[in-house]
Amino acid sequence: MVIAGCTKKLDIANPNAPTSEDVWQTPGYAQLGVNSMYSTYHRVGLCRMQFFMNIIRSDEGFSTSPNGALINNFDQFVVTDYNMFERRAFYEDCYVGIARANQVLDNVPNIVGLDDASKSQFVAEAKFMRGLFYYYLAEYWGNVPLQLKTSLTTDLPPTSPRAEVFAQVEKDLSEAAPALPVSYDANNVGRATRGAAYALLGKAYLQDGNQYQKAADALQWLTEGDGKDVYKLTPNYRDNFVITTENNSESVFEFQNALNPSDNHDDDVNSGSDNLNYGSSIPPFFAPRPIGFTDGQARRWVIDTMEQEKTIGGQRDPRVAATFLFDSTDVRGPDFTMVYGQTWTSRGYSNDPGDPIGVATNHTVYFRKFLNDFTDNGESFHSGNNYRFIRYADVLLLYAEALNGIGRTADAYQYVDRVRERAGLQKLSVVKPNLNQQDFLIQLKHERICELSGEGHRWEDLDRWGDLSPKLASRDAGFSNFVVGKNELLPIPQQDIDYNPNLKQNPGW
Amino acid sequence: MKSKLPQKKFLFLKVSKLVFFLTVLFFSQICFAQQSITGNVSANDSALTGVTVQVKGSTTATQTDRSGNFTITANGNSTLIFSSVGYATKDVAVNNRSVIDVKLEAVAKEMNAVVVIGYQTVLKKDLTGATSVINTENSSKVIGNSVVEQLQGLTPGVTVRTGGAPGENAAIEIRGVASFTDANPLYVIDGKIADANSTINSDDIASIQILKDASAAAIYGSRAANGVVIITTKKGKSGPAVVHFSAKYGIQQIPKKWDVMDAAQYLQTVKTQFANSNAQLPAGIAAQLDNPTINNNWQDDIYRTGNTQDYNIGISGGSENGNYLISGSYFKNLGDLVANDFERGSLRINTEAKKGRLTVGENMVLSNSDGNNPGGGINAFYEAPLSPPVIAVQDKSYVDPITNPAGWGFGTNDIPVYTNNYLAVAALDHIHYNYAKIVGNAYVDFKLAKWLSYRFNAGIEASFDYTKERRDTGIWRYANQLPSTSISDDRETFTNFLIEHTLNFNKTFRDHSINGVVGYSYQQEKRTYTSASRLNLNTINGTTYTTISSALGVPSSGGGVSAFYRLQGYLGRINYAYKDKYLLTASGRIDQDSRFGPNYRTGDFYSIAGSWRISNEAFFKSNLINDLKLRASYGQLGISSSLQALGGSWPILGYINNNQRAIYGVNQTPVIGESQATINNPDLRWEQRNETNIGLDAFLLNNRISVTADVYSNESKGVLVNVPIAFYLGADIGNYTATSLANAASIRNQGVELTVTYRNYLHALHWDISVNGTTISNKVISVGNQGSGINYIEGTDFIRSQVGHPMAAWFMLKTDGIFQTQDQIDNYVNKAGVKIQPNAKPGDIKYIDLNGDGTINNDDRQFVGSPWPKFQGGLQFNATYKSFSLNLQLVGVFGYKIYDDIRRNLDSYTQLTNFRKDINPWTSTNTNTSDPRLGLVTDPGINDNNRAESDRWLENASYLRIRNVQLAYLLPQIFMKRSGFKNAQIFVSGQNLFTITKYKGMDPDVEGAGINQRGLDNGNWPPARIISFGISADF
Repeated sequence: MVIAGCTKKLDIANPNAPTSEDVWQTPGYAQLGVNSMYSTYHRVGLCRMQFFMNIIRSDEGFSTSPNGALINNFDQFVVTDYNMFERRAFYEDCYVGIARANQVLDNVPNIVGLDDASKSQFVAEAKFMRGLFYYYLAEYWGNVPLQLKTSLTTDLPPTSPRAEVFAQVEKDLSEAAPALPVSYDANNVGRATRGAAYALLGKAYLQDGNQYQKAADALQWLTEGDGKDVYKLTPNYRDNFVITTENNSESVFEFQNALNPSDNHDDDVNSGSDNLNYGSSIPPFFAPRPIGFTDGQARRWVIDTMEQEKTIGGQRDPRVAATFLFDSTDVRGPDFTMVYGQTWTSRGYSNDPGDPIGVATNHTVYFRKFLNDFTDNGESFHSGNNYRFIRYADVLLLYAEALNGIGRTADAYQYVDRVRERAGLQKLSVVKPNLNQQDFLIQLKHERICELSGEGHRWEDLDRWGDLSPKLASRDAGFSNFVVGKNELLPIPQQDIDYNPNLKQNPGW
Repeated sequence: MKSKLPQKKFLFLKVSKLVFFLTVLFFSQICFAQQSITGNVSANDSALTGVTVQVKGSTTATQTDRSGNFTITANGNSTLIFSSVGYATKDVAVNNRSVIDVKLEAVAKEMNAVVVIGYQTVLKKDLTGATSVINTENSSKVIGNSVVEQLQGLTPGVTVRTGGAPGENAAIEIRGVASFTDANPLYVIDGKIADANSTINSDDIASIQILKDASAAAIYGSRAANGVVIITTKKGKSGPAVVHFSAKYGIQQIPKKWDVMDAAQYLQTVKTQFANSNAQLPAGIAAQLDNPTINNNWQDDIYRTGNTQDYNIGISGGSENGNYLISGSYFKNLGDLVANDFERGSLRINTEAKKGRLTVGENMVLSNSDGNNPGGGINAFYEAPLSPPVIAVQDKSYVDPITNPAGWGFGTNDIPVYTNNYLAVAALDHIHYNYAKIVGNAYVDFKLAKWLSYRFNAGIEASFDYTKERRDTGIWRYANQLPSTSISDDRETFTNFLIEHTLNFNKTFRDHSINGVVGYSYQQEKRTYTSASRLNLNTINGTTYTTISSALGVPSSGGGVSAFYRLQGYLGRINYAYKDKYLLTASGRIDQDSRFGPNYRTGDFYSIAGSWRISNEAFFKSNLINDLKLRASYGQLGISSSLQALGGSWPILGYINNNQRAIYGVNQTPVIGESQATINNPDLRWEQRNETNIGLDAFLLNNRISVTADVYSNESKGVLVNVPIAFYLGADIGNYTATSLANAASIRNQGVELTVTYRNYLHALHWDISVNGTTISNKVISVGNQGSGINYIEGTDFIRSQVGHPMAAWFMLKTDGIFQTQDQIDNYVNKAGVKIQPNAKPGDIKYIDLNGDGTINNDDRQFVGSPWPKFQGGLQFNATYKSFSLNLQLVGVFGYKIYDDIRRNLDSYTQLTNFRKDINPWTSTNTNTSDPRLGLVTDPGINDNNRAESDRWLENASYLRIRNVQLAYLLPQIFMKRSGFKNAQIFVSGQNLFTITKYKGMDPDVEGAGINQRGLDNGNWPPARIISFGISADF
């Protein structure tokens, strides 16, 4: 009987798709693996749900969604289901990105025939992306498992404390930065750059216990070092939020999106379909009724804050109109304020004060920075508008914060001034010179909400400053449920804890 | 049947040959003259009628008359053969006697029947495992689209649920369901592993054996755990050529329609419904209210009298040197629902030739099946009863030149109802399919020694399936968007090769007998598909072009290999018997399967069984019991088809997904990204089944009664389920349920099976009756790690497989009658005083707040019943008196609950749909009813009454059915003389004539949509009532 001959016949390759082992033998494949990491943005967790956690949950936003779960979880700090899709999609997608980066890191160095320069860049890009995803995890979940190799179902890593997770972020970014290019050609703009890595590294040091010196050292490359001529603020503030001026001079790192008009699903994996999504879905979720679902909207106090100071020319701060859609986005009022091609008045919003669920009122304020009302009279489910994750203005303000933190308050003024000047405001060094370290930080807090509201940084700012507490309830009633020592972090999805006995739930959960 | 027939008449040619032969004989052996012999045949002192008396080696034969007497002409040195059903055949030498009286011994004929058990045949009396031998005389009398459908009720432990669609396969489960994915047994047709679906002609089948326990099935190893059905097709018999012909024609109808309201009742009920909810009547209802202009019963429009036609013709014969059978058949089923039909033509050629130690043979069938049915995913069994009687099927007034050029009737702006017009679907969306198939095997058998033979067997099953769907222009439902016209072609090719080498041995020395088989088996299976479609058919001058190339839209295509695997196995069985008292069987198989990873590529499956024939012991003395054998077996089997269904042929390989897109550059160009999206589980393996069986076989009262009883306990382990995996692994399967396939669950089935048969052949009236009964208790033992506190797998909102309960059981809200007063509603509070159903009004359904949290929600669901019968049984009665014979089959299934989803739709009072004629809605003056108040679903109380997850829609589906009655008549000799037939029988039969059940739906024999919805009647096509007649003849 033929035994040995037939045993070989039992190895049958899958003719429908290659395996990991097959593809990573090929030099040409490395680029495809790298592309896969950058596709992760288009997934629900990163292009939509993260903004519920960093905008809606913070004091600048809230929810009047018809879906009560969104209100409870993302405005009221009432959390019951630790597996809740809208929350863990963000967590899951970070790990999807990490898994893709790990595949690149595990395989690219071993590809025979791939030149060293490419290897070095691809590895650096993968470390940057892994650092980015762990940055989110460290910031929002804190104590998470570190998965640093291509996943196997048998992987049962323990919980790593938040500091260790940040340390991993800092390690990856520190290694990535020097190996990454300063810029790319026109066909590759949007990939990870040295500046992006240093900027994110600076952010990480700040979030990781306000390590001002280290943060300053990292950010210095962009502000005073070799990168200082690479970036400059756009003359027009609004250019940072509209689709026609993506990847501009102020852009340090953007999540690249494009619209596929025939896309038919919500993430970036759907075997066999040619109707792939490569855009972001946040616009319809934040757009005003009846254009969008309006699952998240803005608190009016931010406008009041921004209106405290006029421009040198006596005008309203131009950032108000770029940041919010409300009855006076046009300073002349609702008859002139355009909402997707119609005036606010003609939309016929009710005069009911407050924000009753399901009703748009004259009082309602919508976040505008992600919307496409500049170009379109409506929103489709996906949008091609890039998310400006790190703008140079943000870097300047962070650098000022770091300098102030190490006692170089006077040096810090110039960076704040650059941001204020672009908005048409008087220099801070003129308006409020010689602030002490503490007052300068208070001023920075004001500068940051004015410059960065509705961009996904507010939660991290409040967290870094230690301002997350029930005291915020005066601005945002949801914070009355905030428990210090617990709500700074989100609960680890129960599914992971059920799967892996080595994992611990976050404190208080 | 054929052997009972007298064969007095010869064809002229044969007579002349015989005369010549006899003349030669006469002259050479003059001393043995032809002489007339008379005699009497009896058994137990009573005369036997109809015993065939034949001169050995000739075709001369006669039968005994009513007194048991016979007369035959034979040579003085010849031998007479006396044979009759139920008696041991006896050879008696004439020895020049002229009077010969013979006594026959009654036997249970199946005791010495040869049973095919896989790679081997054994005597039925020597079986150590649980094997059901199907009496094909019963199964062949039932008209079915597939052989499985014919098996219902015939044998214990085998559950068959039918669907009535033309060409539809029935669902079969052997000893319950022990997998969440696949319960189908393995089919072996003439030694070839092949599917016995509706493409196989059941008239070709000679015998069916069902291997139910580990001992019987272990030789099929990794695929045997769901049981094995061994089918042997007909072969030619030694003797001159026989031409067999049969024709059967049946008319078939839906057994029961829903009794729904006519227009006048409907309009008045709608009026009340709207009035109760203070809503304005739709204009179209108001207009017809007092003067209905249309009164349409949609069920009359879509059901029709269908028919079945079944024709077979074959020629067979053989000699010592071989045999042959060639048969052709045509089967057609015109469905009892319009626009559904199925037809099949097949040709079978079975031959075998012998030369010395060598035997060479083949079995082959070619079949071609064609069918038609409407597409669109519309189920007529819902739409017809629900459609309002005030809308016509088709009318000029409904014409819309763009969306409804043919004027099909459905909801309008005046009567906004959302039912689908099935006749419009049938006219606008055609699916045609064609399955061409070949199944065959060829073998060489070489006798190496008297006790040892080698066999080489090679087989192929190949099918070529083609489905074409055409969508013409028009809509069939109110407010539907007009879809594009389209054409799609899907083709599938399936091949399955088998090569086997086996050695059979059989040796007896003194009191020891040993036989068995060892062998090697190699199989490859491959399935590929290609699909293509295109929108926008081109219509010119009223002619629509229906090929893909002629359509105008952008073409789209797909294709791939959906299955491709190889399997090799080393198999063996040894049977040992000592003094015919102690029997021992050990069998096993080592299988290697390409679908499994290195860790689990090889699996061992085995069984061991013993039996003890107590009746052969010296101490055993009983006049009552003629034969008594106890059996016990244990074994471990596998099933691999579940993995194929869930994970395909490469379940352990992580594959590269190329559907990611990165955006780069100032032009924001999408570029392809690829990565491994799934986290593969390298440890996937077959589902395992541990089976224990204890049984007995007994013959009593001169073998007139036979009893077979079995008790078994089967536990499946490593049942495949999707278990949640950690999100941190980054598994990316696109639908946001991070799960991975794992061999993690466990299910137990325990049961008792009993068959009792009584035969009475003593008188002119021969009759036998056989009853069987089955209990199966199914219990989920484990569902794997589904997360903390979760010990179940949920299919829909109300079907759950929970540890400690049966699979796919009903977990629902319990109802507690109807609120009669507002007080009852106000006082229905939980401990905290919270009103539990604040939206209810008197006349609404009361639900039990199981957890006492003051609201009715999913957490209040509880176990309310099982879709699996507690007891199922069958009865077969056969009687023959002279030329008449009767076959009666009953099927009974008891103690289970079916979810009646059509009634739920009828009773939900939604969207202007029709009502049951006998609804008796609650009103303040009509309180003694179980039907809640009438109203519109915009009323939250009414909406709550319709909760799909409540036990309101569960019904006791126990039933007892007359499965089949057939009366046959053997045409008299006088007819034979004239027609040239050797024998001919005509018959008339009624199938599914009568059913006793409380089930309110169309039929309680619900096939259900897969294992996990087995009890869900979501428009199951009820088995038809068929009246048929036919003829079967040999010449």
